[in-house]
Amino acid sequence: MKRLYGWGIVRSMFIAYKNLFRKKITVQYPFKKLTLPERARWAVEPIFNEAGETKCTACLICERACPDFIIKIDTHTDEDKTKHIDAWNYDIGACMMCGLCVEACPFDAIQMGHNYELARTDPSTLSIKLLEGVLASKGKQRPAAPANIDKPEEKPAEKGGLDG
Amino acid sequence: MSPIINAVIPFLAALGLLLFNGVVMIWMLRKVLGFLHLRLGPMVQGPHGVFQTLFDVLKLLSKEDITPRKVDKVLFFLAPAIVFVPSLMAYMIIPFSETWVVADLDLGLLFVFAIMSLIPLGILAAGWSSNNKWSLIGAMRVIGAQITYEVPMLLAAIPIVIMAGSMNMGDIVDAQSQIWFIIHVPAFLLFFIAGLIESGQTPFDLIEAESELVSGYATEYSAMKFGLLFLSEFSNTFIFSALLVTLFFGGWHGGFGIVPAPVVFMLKTYIGIFIIMTIRGTMPRVRVDNLLAIGWKFLLPASLVVIILTAAIIKVFPVFSGGAL
Repeated sequence: MKRLYGWGIVRSMFIAYKNLFRKKITVQYPFKKLTLPERARWAVEPIFNEAGETKCTACLICERACPDFIIKIDTHTDEDKTKHIDAWNYDIGACMMCGLCVEACPFDAIQMGHNYELARTDPSTLSIKLLEGVLASKGKQRPAAPANIDKPEEKPAEKGGLDG
Repeated sequence: MSPIINAVIPFLAALGLLLFNGVVMIWMLRKVLGFLHLRLGPMVQGPHGVFQTLFDVLKLLSKEDITPRKVDKVLFFLAPAIVFVPSLMAYMIIPFSETWVVADLDLGLLFVFAIMSLIPLGILAAGWSSNNKWSLIGAMRVIGAQITYEVPMLLAAIPIVIMAGSMNMGDIVDAQSQIWFIIHVPAFLLFFIAGLIESGQTPFDLIEAESELVSGYATEYSAMKFGLLFLSEFSNTFIFSALLVTLFFGGWHGGFGIVPAPVVFMLKTYIGIFIIMTIRGTMPRVRVDNLLAIGWKFLLPASLVVIILTAAIIKVFPVFSGGAL
């Protein structure tokens, strides 16, 4: 049997006294804040371009990607074919900050923000509108993919292959 | 001055010192524990949060004094006083310097032990009257622990009495003018361990045991009644540290004639408190059965052996001038 002589007590006290002089790992929170890691995920924020316009095209992909069904985008299209975002509804209270909407967004219109002071005194303020009454972006104008009118026989061939 | 004023002023001074100690020690405990945990502790109220405890006391004073419906009202009201008064009375015999002592009793040391053994009575009253299982378990643990450890603590002080030849606190300090009694290491260790339990400090803080017993016997108390119980606990720690300094670390000696004697005494006492607090921040709690086993199976026989050996050595080599033997 291993004999114990109580040296662990002395060693632990030595470590405790060393700890007294180590750098403190906490900060005075309301006065001083730690910088968050770049990929920290807090509430969703919209991204604006240099002109201050939203990059959102109201494609509703984020709405479909959201596992909590808390994103709801209301849009309408005017007669001159311009698309308007009436409200980009977002419910912080139910958001689990998974970031799937940000991953799904094809236009980089939203990001996971770094504002972690999300506590509210009034529950009704938990549902917020990130965007309200703005013109939807037209999105990146990509050149249209070359149409397949040159070789129309390819598609049936593929289909046949799949059927076979 | 009339004799009444003469008698009351030292008493009030002791009361003031007790309250001051309580405030300082609570702040110090928070700071020391914080630093041990790599935290900052209180920082906002005043420089490094020195006024934090002051505000806490104000808060306690202004809170509603709740008496739960099914408690034993008389005992519930009396218990904090029974706990607090012995703590205050023990201050009477602490020798801060040759002249700064409220009551210079011939049996000062015995008086401390006698008066401190009243505290478990008050704690039992608090726990019993609270009508709460946590309070009662905490109070029962106090009784078990304190009765177990009063005996070894008293026995561990006897070698010092033999060496000093007196139970008067002033005489004990005087006997250490050449060499401090810390040279009697076994007695010091026994006294230290027993005293940690007496004053309810970690690793033997089973009476409070926050993780198991809510707040022990103080669970049902609120406002300043809780404040008195809390203050008494801190005051016990101070008294224990003061006893350590008096018995083993030369009391007011060691100022080299430059530092005034009371300052030396307070400084030593607060170093003792600091060490007790760092132990509190480091050690885990022992189990109840282990606590009692250490007391009866190790400390008690060991202190008896130490007394016999000390007496024999003093008889054979009369180094110390105390004439007890």
